[in-house]
Amino acid sequence: MWFNTGGWRGKKRVVQAGSRQHRQRQIIGWALFALVVVLIPFLIADTYSPTIFGNRYTVGLGNLSQAVGLMVAILGLNIATGYSGQLSLGHSFFVGSGAYLTAVLVNDFHWSYVATLGVVVPGLFLFGVLFGIPALRIQGLYLGLLTFAVAAVFPSIIRLEEVSERTGGSNGLLIESDLKPPTWAPLDKVTEWLHAIPGVGSRVPDGLTGRQEEAVYKYFLLVIVALVCFWLVRNILAGRVGRAMVAIRDNPLGAAANGVNLAAYKTLSFGISAAVGGVAGTMLAMHSGFVGPDEFGFSMAILLIVGLIVGGAGTLHGAVAGGLAIQFVPHWSSQTQTLPGTDVALEGPYGTAILGGLLIVIIFALPGGAAHGFRKIKSRLMPVAPRPPGG
Amino acid sequence: MVVVASLLGIFDVSLDKLSNGELWLAQFFRGLSDGATYASVALALVMIYKSTGFINFAQGSLALLGVYLVYVFSVEQGLPVAVAVLCAMVASAVVAMFVERVFIRPFPPDHVLPLVIVTLGLLLIIDSAVGIVWGFRTRSLPSMFPTGAPIEWGIAQLTWRTIGNLGTVFAVVGLLYLLLSRTKVGLAFRAVSSNLESARLVGIRVGPTLGFGWALAAAIGTLGGALVVPDLLLEPSIMLRVLIFSLAAAALGGLDSLVGAVIGGLVVGLARNLLVTFLDLSELALATAVAVILVVLLVRPTGLFGSTRVERV
Repeated sequence: MWFNTGGWRGKKRVVQAGSRQHRQRQIIGWALFALVVVLIPFLIADTYSPTIFGNRYTVGLGNLSQAVGLMVAILGLNIATGYSGQLSLGHSFFVGSGAYLTAVLVNDFHWSYVATLGVVVPGLFLFGVLFGIPALRIQGLYLGLLTFAVAAVFPSIIRLEEVSERTGGSNGLLIESDLKPPTWAPLDKVTEWLHAIPGVGSRVPDGLTGRQEEAVYKYFLLVIVALVCFWLVRNILAGRVGRAMVAIRDNPLGAAANGVNLAAYKTLSFGISAAVGGVAGTMLAMHSGFVGPDEFGFSMAILLIVGLIVGGAGTLHGAVAGGLAIQFVPHWSSQTQTLPGTDVALEGPYGTAILGGLLIVIIFALPGGAAHGFRKIKSRLMPVAPRPPGG
Repeated sequence: MVVVASLLGIFDVSLDKLSNGELWLAQFFRGLSDGATYASVALALVMIYKSTGFINFAQGSLALLGVYLVYVFSVEQGLPVAVAVLCAMVASAVVAMFVERVFIRPFPPDHVLPLVIVTLGLLLIIDSAVGIVWGFRTRSLPSMFPTGAPIEWGIAQLTWRTIGNLGTVFAVVGLLYLLLSRTKVGLAFRAVSSNLESARLVGIRVGPTLGFGWALAAAIGTLGGALVVPDLLLEPSIMLRVLIFSLAAAALGGLDSLVGAVIGGLVVGLARNLLVTFLDLSELALATAVAVILVVLLVRPTGLFGSTRVERV
């Protein structure tokens, strides 16, 4: 028949993996991605606020920066849970530790934010390894049980009298140092250049105020840290370590039979996962300039799991989608004052309920998460044939 | 002796406190009372674990919903508390059956991890639904039992509430035991929990049996919540702490043993109260639960009374 999809698909040019066209397409894709990442902060520096069905929504740059931090947190969780298959419901513990470590170093020892990473990464790596050693004997569901309880304890540890002098106890900690864009950063110039771009230019504000400059600077700093994290994790996972982890997840016995040292790689995965989680904590502290004990409690632990599953466990793109989801779904639903199109007032934690529903729907309908969905659509629209063996 | 003395020094323990027999007894009674409440939520967890092999992280949320229903029936509708608790147990059982049918049964029962994630989603949905409907204002809930204490030694009081909590839990275990061992539906439940496939082959309707397990667990959890809440104030995050202690209790008892859940609950309740009082660890109360879980899982993963799981390769 004329609408036979097979015939329609047959006309499309199938590109072979590794061929020149494929590379071109990849380069164009990355260039577009880079363009969007660079343009967005300038477009929404003047908080973008559309009105949909009588509700005013805002897309502040701050939300986006927070989402970037959450992406890295999910990336860390992904290593232990998504790639090595160890159900960790307590990842917020590592994120919180990183955030507090940064806050204390900046406040009491007057370090710069980025320098604290030098302590946070090795410190949290060690901590994760130490945590991973007892976890070796505990598998699957039981590990989930233990980590779930650990996540709930974090706020009480922060509130302990012995440490509350440094951590600020229940009140949280305002971090003194604030990130000011260095004088050499030509943020004002960039806005001028952007005006020249047709279409987009009109949305860019004329020159940035001090606060906007600071927000844009923070955003770029966070994006750079995030890119480095994603790049490093990608490389770790693409190599021997990553293959060992995936083998452990898919079939521990088979992995062991093939010479994978289960104990070593499981603890290593916890170490890396915790280190990346710590970096995420530093990023979140950097973004908000404040750390509070309940931010990193058990609700964050569950949100990170939601982000992991909704985005797609075991994929790097999934962490990006998941971070956006757990930041913006609660944010937007809290701004939805009335049911769209009606006058029915909405009040309360609808965002959390929606996330819970989303989690269940994703597990049911799209077990691979959003990343899997994207991949499916992409392979439909732009099919890529695998390289023939030996070619 | 030196070691003991230095340990006491680290934890800042005063010997006055340790030698105060009345304080011991007072904390012992409080521990039993708390333990009974943990035990009843642990019983609900064990019911689900026995039948399906996963931990229902939404159990605390179902109990939370039940307790709010108790509030509605008793405070808003003016029913006697005991009647309100019964009504709430029935209502939460119906809700749990619905939840099981809609959210749990569509998933293959032999893949545990997706189901655990689904219960986390349920936790988010139910907790926030409670927040949406009833708000975050704290409320007080009357107890089922009279106030006052029939037996007193100085500051140590064996209150009616302690007696009532303990009595309720033991009654629940007794009734559950009778239900599981003497009735047809109990037999079906045991068959499903021992081997799902074989149970299906001999003609047991597995789905409704599991739904029955969920309903029963939710009713027990609601009862447990109704025991806990009068000590505290009712607000949407209240069951989280209880859930953690109950998880510790269930792990200690062995996750698939009803008696184990009760004994685990009492031990966790006692450990919590004694440690917090004598070691001055009021902020670390939750950490005692984590310590219990960690030690049990490391030393004896099957708990005190759990059955050993044999894994086939």
